Amino acid sequence: MFRTSDIILIALMVSATAMTYKIKRDAEEQQTAVYRLQAQIRTENDTIDLLRADWSLLTQPARLEKLTDVYSAQLDLQPVDAHQFVKLGDLPAKPLTIEDLTKQGGDMADSGQDRIVTGAVQ
Amino acid sequence: MMSAFARFVKPAALFKRASPSAQDSSIVVDSARKASGGRTRNRVVMTMAVFLAIYSTIAGRLVWLGFQDPDASGPPPSRVTASRPDITDRNGEILATDIKTASLYAEPRHIVDADEAIDKLSTVLPDLDYEQTYHKLKSGAGFVWLQRQLTPKQQAEIFQLGIPGLGFRTEKRRFYPAGSTAAYVVGLTNIDNKGISGMEKYLDDQGLTDLQQMGLVKDMSPVKLSIDLRVQHVVHDEIVSGMERFHAIAAGAVVLNVKTGEVMAMASVPDFDPNNPYNANDKDRLNRMSAGLYEMGSTFKSFTTAMALDSGKVGMNSMFDASHPLRVGRQTIHDFHNMGRALSVTDVFIHSSNIGSAREAMAVGIEGHREFLHRMGVLERMQTELPEVATPTEPKVWKQVNSLTIAFGHGVSTTPLQTAVGCAALMNGGFLIEPTFLPRTVKQAMEGAKKVVSEKTVAALRYLYALNAEKGSGRNARVPGYRVGGKTGTAEKVINGRYSKGHNFNAFVAAFPMDDPQYIVLTIADDPKPEKPGMGATAASNAGIMAGNIIRRSAAMLGVQPDFSHENEPTLVSYQ
Repeated sequence: MFRTSDIILIALMVSATAMTYKIKRDAEEQQTAVYRLQAQIRTENDTIDLLRADWSLLTQPARLEKLTDVYSAQLDLQPVDAHQFVKLGDLPAKPLTIEDLTKQGGDMADSGQDRIVTGAVQ
Repeated sequence: MMSAFARFVKPAALFKRASPSAQDSSIVVDSARKASGGRTRNRVVMTMAVFLAIYSTIAGRLVWLGFQDPDASGPPPSRVTASRPDITDRNGEILATDIKTASLYAEPRHIVDADEAIDKLSTVLPDLDYEQTYHKLKSGAGFVWLQRQLTPKQQAEIFQLGIPGLGFRTEKRRFYPAGSTAAYVVGLTNIDNKGISGMEKYLDDQGLTDLQQMGLVKDMSPVKLSIDLRVQHVVHDEIVSGMERFHAIAAGAVVLNVKTGEVMAMASVPDFDPNNPYNANDKDRLNRMSAGLYEMGSTFKSFTTAMALDSGKVGMNSMFDASHPLRVGRQTIHDFHNMGRALSVTDVFIHSSNIGSAREAMAVGIEGHREFLHRMGVLERMQTELPEVATPTEPKVWKQVNSLTIAFGHGVSTTPLQTAVGCAALMNGGFLIEPTFLPRTVKQAMEGAKKVVSEKTVAALRYLYALNAEKGSGRNARVPGYRVGGKTGTAEKVINGRYSKGHNFNAFVAAFPMDDPQYIVLTIADDPKPEKPGMGATAASNAGIMAGNIIRRSAAMLGVQPDFSHENEPTLVSYQ
């Protein structure tokens, strides 16, 4: 009754329909996922904005100053004095003692593994 | 309906035509049809009538609904607020930002169970007033606000509760984390998120609003200001406490980068909280540093001295007779501390001699004096980003007496910020650089700079500033290690058209470090009283102290290296 070509065509039609349906379904699902992600991104962005505002509110110099006053007993923070700034060049050289000298020399001799690799060592 | 009727009639005709031979049977059929024919007709008409009635009811109802006003519930129409870029300080600390806030509303008519709704809500909003909320939800009103400005977290949690009849309305709101600290510089926005003052207004004037309306700007990068929030805090803190300590009606200060013209910090009190600016339009809420006009008093002697030296007519060792008051027409010029002798340029500056300054101006001449002050920009309207800028006033015609009083800062009014800019030109090598509130490099600054005085004058002025802080009236502003130089200015205020003895306007202009000035600090105190009875109320004892404190606390943040090699006190570097 049915010719082979008819059967093939019907099968093709059915499978095409099934595929179209599946693709459409998948696309819809993806679209939903995209919307969800977009909403999530918006929320995250808003939250970031808010947290940044929060952070700057919490780190206001005025607030930090008050906090150091309140916790002065524990923190003991003082405004920095001009005398406390010293350039590296202004620091006195560390005084050398004879122990330092001998110790330094000793280190060199004891654990001094030579890093130079020569052809003979390999 | 009509077609159904037609179909009903047709088969009979067809039948007749199709089988003309079967006449006998057709009679039976025909008679059967005839027997019930009348009733069939009736049925059809009835069916038509019923359907017509149903459809016309529906149509009528639709028309009626169309004329009905929609139910008056739901939130009020939301304000469309444009988003604005963040404003940050020079280190990226936020000074102004947009935050989205959600407000919770309820439509009591759609609330199924008020008790349950409140029970659920109170898990997220513990401080919800039960009774009040219950009454609100039971009121039967179309719309009630329950809680304004929720955090996104609270919003999400309430959303998760899934209570019918609740909804959110999100709104963009401008938020200023620094509060009043930088209120005048950052400015304000109105309810539509449009800038109405300060840098907020400047941003809108730059065409931001137009771009937004065209939809071109979506993501805006933050706008960086030249302000340093830490220094700004120091300045604000000092003037707030200074105003209280010296019982002044107002105070203000500015820290200006001499080399670039950047304003590092500027504040004026009394001010307002930009997050709740209910008093921002009060009469005394004025950015006194850029929009207040004052007779600057003795700080103007910096300009007089510079002018005299720059004209070449006066040298550092020129002597001016200041032994007795100077009479011009009906007016007499006195000295606050009369030295009773002839003074050199240095002495005139250090002892802040009015007579000496007047004689210096006399040596230059009226036209030269006027030209010099215009050249220094103190009598021109300042060009800067901030919209609140006052135009200085000067006499229409300069007479001899005008020139002589202007020599010590009476008779012209200018803004403190402009005075600072003028003094910066005397410190930075003679270049007048317009102040800016946006970051600027030295190179950019020099492109727009105008050479106004010679190197030699600058060197002399630096020497005088440093000397004045060591021996003269600027001692209160001295900070060990930071080589401060400065000039005081105590001007009598004009009250009811007369100079009043008891009311002063005090200013102090300080520069540091004096070996290569980087910053100018200018402080003002409007009508200060002695801190305690018996103490002085001149500029040195209030504006000077404020300037000293600002420098002490902010110099390190401004990146100035302390150096004690110039100090006379012996320094002991302890060894071990």
